[in-house]
Amino acid sequence: MSYDQGRLISDRGIAIIGYYETKIELKSGRSVYDLAGEAMAGAIAHAGIGKSEIDGFAVSSCFSDAGNPFYAPVLASYLGLELDWCQVTDLGGASASGNVARAAAAIRSGMCDTVLVLAADAQSSENKGAIGAFRSEFQYSVGIMGPPGYFGLLSRRYDHQYGLDPKALGKLAMTQRNHALMNDKACEKLRRPLTIEDYLASPMISDPIRMLDCVMVCDGASALVVTSTTRAQELGARKRVHPIGYGERINHLETEQCPDITAIGHSVAGTRALKAAGLTPTQIQSFHPYDDFLIAIVLQLEQLGFCEIGRGCRFVMEHDLSYRGDLPLNTGGGQISAGQAGLAGGAHNLVEAVRQLFGEAGARQVKRRDNAMVTGIGWIPYGRNWASSTVLILEAAQ
Amino acid sequence: MSTLDPLAGQRPAPVPCNFTKPFWDAARECKLLLQYDPDAGKYQFYPRPISIFSGRRNLEWREASGKGTIYTYTVSYKAPPPFKGVSPFIVVTVELSEGVRVMTNLINCPPDQVKIGMPVRLAWVKAGELNFPVFEPD
Repeated sequence: MSYDQGRLISDRGIAIIGYYETKIELKSGRSVYDLAGEAMAGAIAHAGIGKSEIDGFAVSSCFSDAGNPFYAPVLASYLGLELDWCQVTDLGGASASGNVARAAAAIRSGMCDTVLVLAADAQSSENKGAIGAFRSEFQYSVGIMGPPGYFGLLSRRYDHQYGLDPKALGKLAMTQRNHALMNDKACEKLRRPLTIEDYLASPMISDPIRMLDCVMVCDGASALVVTSTTRAQELGARKRVHPIGYGERINHLETEQCPDITAIGHSVAGTRALKAAGLTPTQIQSFHPYDDFLIAIVLQLEQLGFCEIGRGCRFVMEHDLSYRGDLPLNTGGGQISAGQAGLAGGAHNLVEAVRQLFGEAGARQVKRRDNAMVTGIGWIPYGRNWASSTVLILEAAQ
Repeated sequence: MSTLDPLAGQRPAPVPCNFTKPFWDAARECKLLLQYDPDAGKYQFYPRPISIFSGRRNLEWREASGKGTIYTYTVSYKAPPPFKGVSPFIVVTVELSEGVRVMTNLINCPPDQVKIGMPVRLAWVKAGELNFPVFEPD
């Protein structure tokens, strides 16, 4: 086990120098290549660099072109990129944060100098995904509603062990929705005010998962420009955000056949990332956790050490998680209120964290913007909780 | 007694692969087989091409007792295609006495009576033309 993986970046030798996020739309009818094109053009313009600076490319896998075994180089060709290094990362919602670390590793090892980290998907318009394996054999016959069903199983067990407070989930839903109202990139269908009562009244999908616990699948894309701090200075980058801590855990507790499903790999990934960054959870100034379901936020608050195990709902009730609060959370609305851009959705919270640290979040700008924590969640294994966890800590360059 | 199973007649057939053939062959005789690693002294489920404990291909198939308890459950109000118009049904994760968990349906139990820790026993339903393992209150 590499307990040093977080130190890959803790010397501030890697910098994010530009970002872009498209509007998140439901059934946009746009090609994933078009979304990717907009994201790249926006990111290099924001970074103030020419296209020729990009010599590395790390892209998240997508549903829209899922049948394509050559996705990364084909997409790079559409984008006119001649590269020294590229890869596609298939960690689902953990791909975008994972790709920042992969870009850092590629730069550090001399494979390339400047990486476009890109995530695009038009899942609500075109879905060519076909996840077979154990699902075809042991899941589809059971009628479980995919992720909402799995999170129903998880939520029921969490409630049994610790007690689940629906009002706390409602507060999370409302807090994130208020942020989406202030984010003009968020999906318009979701930009309507929401109260805790609306959450409690929303219909059960897979009890205790309600409709308003879930993300809505949309289309969208994001991109970041990642380079060495030395190169960033040579390029005259006007602003920089340094990734300073990272941790990753894939297939947590894999060989335990009867694990506690409320235990997640973020406990391991978070410890690594915080140690590398030299920070404790109380020093994190804004938190941007992957949110496919509201309970995922509660679990991450606990397993990352913001509060004790089993006290996540109480933590939510006791803290102001708005952009003005003591721990601003998913200030772009999160995926649940901004829309989940398919497998590119994991980049939404990442870009929002970078935007905040650049001081470019407009009306929802957080006051304390020295650092931010971003997380990712990957796939859902048989009969368990999510399997892949990433934690990335970012710092604004002074 | 009549069977309470809202998904009856609608379950799509599982898609077996070469190394899971013994599992589905046994299912035809209403036997639930689990993979067993004799060196680790442990069972594993779902079936894998290798022992997840040792990385060796030393697996045996052994018949499960069919007894277990409910680890967690969810009452589902919808089911994805090809299911159509189902009434609320129960998905459970059952912890078998052999020390593995199986995710499947609980039949013959009204949705308001399922509880974590409830003892359950193996039952069989049709999924396409194949027998598929589910559980019912014991």
